[in-house]
Amino acid sequence: MQVYLARRLIALIPALFFASLIVFVIVRLVPGSIIDMMLSQNDVGADKLSRDQLIQTLGLDRPMWEQYCRWIGGILLHGDFGRSLWQNTPVSELLRARLPVTFQLGLMALIVALLIAIPIGIYSAIRQDTAGDYLTRSFSILMLAVPSFWMGTMVMVFPSIWWGWSPQVKFVAFTDDPVQNLRQMILPAVILGTALSAVTMRLTRTMMLEVLRQDYIRTAWAKGLTEKLVVVRHALRNAMIPVVTLIGLQAPILIGGAVIMEQIFVIPGMGLLLLDAISQRDYPIITSVSLVIGLSVMLINLAVDLGYGLLDPKARYR
Amino acid sequence: MSVTRAALRLAAASLAVTLSLATPLSAESEQPPKPGGTLEVGTVYVTLSALSWDSADWNWKHNHDTGQVYEQLFVADLSKSRRLGGKHPFYADGWIPSDAIRGELAEKWEWKQNPLRLEINLRKGVMFPDKPGVMAARELVADDVVFAYNRLEKSPKKISGYFDHLEKVEATDKHTVVFTFKNYNSEWDFRFGWGFYSGIVPKEVADAGAGNWKNVNGTGPFQLAEFVQGNSNTYVKNPVYWGTEKINGVETKLPLVDEVVFRTIKDEATYLTALRTAKLDILETIRWSAVEELKKNAPQLQWSKWLNMSGTFLSMRVDTKPFDDIRVRRALNLAVNKREIVKEYYGGNAELFAYPQHPDYLGYFEPLEAMPESVKELFTYNPEKAKKLLAEAGVPKGFTFKVQVCSCSPDHIDLIPLLAAYFEQVGVKIEIQTMEYGAFLSAMTSKTNAAGYLMNNGHTNPTTTIRKSFIRGQVWNPSQWSDPEYDKKMDAVYLEQDESKRQAMLKEMTREILDKAPYVWLPTPYIFTAWWPWVKNYGGELRAGAARPGPIYARIWIDQDLKKKMGH
Amino acid sequence: MALVTDIAVIPAGKERSSVIHFLVRLFREKPLGAAGGVIFILFLLCGMFADFLAPYGMNQISPRNRLLPPSWAYPFGTDNLGRDMLSRCLYGAQLSVIIAFTAATLATVVSVAIGILSGYLGGKIDLVTQRFVDAWMSFPALIILLVVVSVLGPGLPQIIFTLGFLLGIGSSRIIRSAVVSVRENMYVHAAQSIGASTHRILWRHILPNIMPPIIVLFTTQVGAVILVESSLSFLGLGVPPPTPTWGGMLSGSGRTFMFQGPWLALAPGLCLTVVVYATNVFGDALRDLLDPRMRGSR
Repeated sequence: MQVYLARRLIALIPALFFASLIVFVIVRLVPGSIIDMMLSQNDVGADKLSRDQLIQTLGLDRPMWEQYCRWIGGILLHGDFGRSLWQNTPVSELLRARLPVTFQLGLMALIVALLIAIPIGIYSAIRQDTAGDYLTRSFSILMLAVPSFWMGTMVMVFPSIWWGWSPQVKFVAFTDDPVQNLRQMILPAVILGTALSAVTMRLTRTMMLEVLRQDYIRTAWAKGLTEKLVVVRHALRNAMIPVVTLIGLQAPILIGGAVIMEQIFVIPGMGLLLLDAISQRDYPIITSVSLVIGLSVMLINLAVDLGYGLLDPKARYR
Repeated sequence: MSVTRAALRLAAASLAVTLSLATPLSAESEQPPKPGGTLEVGTVYVTLSALSWDSADWNWKHNHDTGQVYEQLFVADLSKSRRLGGKHPFYADGWIPSDAIRGELAEKWEWKQNPLRLEINLRKGVMFPDKPGVMAARELVADDVVFAYNRLEKSPKKISGYFDHLEKVEATDKHTVVFTFKNYNSEWDFRFGWGFYSGIVPKEVADAGAGNWKNVNGTGPFQLAEFVQGNSNTYVKNPVYWGTEKINGVETKLPLVDEVVFRTIKDEATYLTALRTAKLDILETIRWSAVEELKKNAPQLQWSKWLNMSGTFLSMRVDTKPFDDIRVRRALNLAVNKREIVKEYYGGNAELFAYPQHPDYLGYFEPLEAMPESVKELFTYNPEKAKKLLAEAGVPKGFTFKVQVCSCSPDHIDLIPLLAAYFEQVGVKIEIQTMEYGAFLSAMTSKTNAAGYLMNNGHTNPTTTIRKSFIRGQVWNPSQWSDPEYDKKMDAVYLEQDESKRQAMLKEMTREILDKAPYVWLPTPYIFTAWWPWVKNYGGELRAGAARPGPIYARIWIDQDLKKKMGH
Repeated sequence: MALVTDIAVIPAGKERSSVIHFLVRLFREKPLGAAGGVIFILFLLCGMFADFLAPYGMNQISPRNRLLPPSWAYPFGTDNLGRDMLSRCLYGAQLSVIIAFTAATLATVVSVAIGILSGYLGGKIDLVTQRFVDAWMSFPALIILLVVVSVLGPGLPQIIFTLGFLLGIGSSRIIRSAVVSVRENMYVHAAQSIGASTHRILWRHILPNIMPPIIVLFTTQVGAVILVESSLSFLGLGVPPPTPTWGGMLSGSGRTFMFQGPWLALAPGLCLTVVVYATNVFGDALRDLLDPRMRGSR
């Protein structure tokens, strides 16, 4: 197990390195440099002097490789992710503020997704092709088929018209006031979760169906064990395996991609940070955030694979 | 029904409409103001979080977020607002009418000659509040003004040439600052006085790190208590604030509310909902398309409307063919049915003619009726004449040109196919190139923008609106307009000390540029502001300085009983 | 997005009669999936023949007729520029067909290529490829899309290209596991032992046997692409207007004018939801029928 873990961790490094390099270079290739944008803030002519001065102040006059090394060096040696080019705040501060928010939203969405998907998946498998199967599966797929921004808009707008109520959109950290925080986070988490549940539900159903056909299940039937016992004790445990894998697959969405929910429900998470940084060409934020997201996802996947190994002994020695 | 009854109904309806747009005065002027409560505001820039807390970053939005914490030498005299019987609505984003400027930190000021200098006497007893870890409470002195100025002047991000008209700034005694001028500049008070870059930031804050919101500390009515980037700024009452104001006849200590919260909400549906459910007390920017529904679902809201402080136009590069020929440019203006755009596209919620000068610029703005015929013609719809002009200019069969538009503006994205349809009628085809915000802006700044460029440009003030767009080499000059004679006229405006003479010069320059049509001039939409009735001593005013709403919020009080009675 | 991690395969049997047999089974055993399939085909046809079916042009502006509710002249009403919503939805179908099918095809090609490469060749190539897939998938699709859209500008080809690649790399794992399980089959070993070339083995034996998961993947990816494009439109990165994609119409004027003209949102929204729903249930039904493990207790 330790060898496996070590091997996987070491494999992370080149992947991350390439990823960071790619992001670093590509972001700077994007047209519309930050210098142009900053200069356009001032409506007096952008002469060469101010342009050069600005480039120098921001440290963008150094060659690309030097900027990259400084950035990576800063991270590895001091945990310093650089400073925002617009606001001069340390990126690590921004990350520290936004990452927990995104994790929280992701975790809540995941719990919602599992709470919906697993019961539906199991039910659908046991009662395959019945009306109940169709109904529950249809509900799940419908949640997937309605675009999340539309769900979010409807949830935001219509209760305000019918009942004069709208979700809280002033952000309070969970540690400061958990109740208030949850009141803001619960709706987007539910919307996100229901959309994700379709995929999980499908998978649970598939695995349950496969497991239910197995011989040892037939044996249990034959022995006269009640359905519930059969399901819970034997089928469920094995069916959970790929579900765990699925969590890993959803990780990038949960960590970096809930930007639509963040925008509609005004949640200051990583998605919006990235979106704003890209539109403002704030390079240190873009590269650092991408790196952190990439690292988080890879670590989650590793944890998932380890969990997978714990659940299914066959998978351990790959 | 009979004609009389119908007429009466119509009169009643129009009265109701008028009243709903006007601000209620009578009930308000009876009550004495009561302190307390929290004011939740979705400002004009509700979608943008604070970009910088440090004045030395030379960020245009600095005043908006710090204007209630850092004070300036001058400020708008809000007692001259229309609501209180004056002439001015205080909507302009970078202009205070010269008869509505009063001293904020400056108590009185005097011009002296030989050398040309301005002597400012500062108000006494203005205190910086105590800020643990940054500074102890102390009085504002002349050295603070000098320090703030020098810090701006020496900043690497300074706009080049911004303070070139000044020789030096020095403190002659504890409360007197003297600005020595090299030459007169008519924008002197805009550049350092009440403008975008005029906040007085003390040395202690600069030493501790002016960019860190936790260190922000100024003499203003509020203090910055909390900043959640991308979500909200919270300001609390400054207990040692010097200011008072006569409200409803009572001399009241400011500020009145305990807390002001600026909300940042990117999504339109979300901020409209927040207003609808009274989670926002004021929402300053509402598109016309959302007004009808809000009036239906939140009928108690008070409204004001204002003409967008930004001109919409399609710029044509005059350094490329065929736009170097004025006939082509005028033809394209004639090809667009601007009145139809006002009526059908904006549903009547727009003005045909509001750029480059804004109708609020009293003394500088001339309405379309006062313009010469050749300018008036540009706002008529005449595709036949357009085709004739194109033929005269040597492109009888029309031509094709590329138009860049920003995907960040839903209004422009909708407008461009409309324009394309109009142009097609006179044989001109356009290739639409949609660009993302950064790339779009960059194209203009690097002067590589396409022949056609559909954009908005803020008016700022009567002088800047001409200078930023039509002087050679300026950043916001996408048409690449370059006329040395015109540039000379602009220089003369800056040197002119007499305002009425400046007004005449600018009027003439405005007429000239309108006539020469480097842009296809497009209508300017109205934008609406709404607030709940418990927000008192407020009439929809937007700025009391350059992008600076702080002083307005300091004078608002909340009728908390009314708010409770209305169920919020 | 629709993601499945594992689909089993059956050996390629007799081709022709089994297709008809298959369709009969589909309609008999999986009525919901069959309905989904029918809608799927209908949508395809509408998209292909939009030019003939649409009563008005795609971009026929008529400001005087703005925001008219549904009527005989305009069955789905008009939008804020007076354009006929029915025509725009039909052209939207055309665009969605183009985008979704092209991207899904590209995605399938990419997943098959990677899956086969990784799954069949195994060893070091597999290791490196999987790390590459790991790295790629750990990035939020958003940043990749944003960067591509920023570099190349918002537009149709770049969105198809990017989505195709992203989904393709993401789904390559499924194909890979399918290839791995087929690889171990007896007749593949037999072919290898008689010295058949790798190319022949891949083409004649591996590929036909992984068709079922490929087909299922394709149908679900069509739905996924349509959804992703709508999300991109919401963020301002989608196919730029005036091109009428359903996602663009829904997130743009659909939201702005949702009170003055609910049909502006309902028309494209329903089209979008129905088609994505249909492709998903169709894909589910296909999977159920093609995968022997899924056969019920019959």
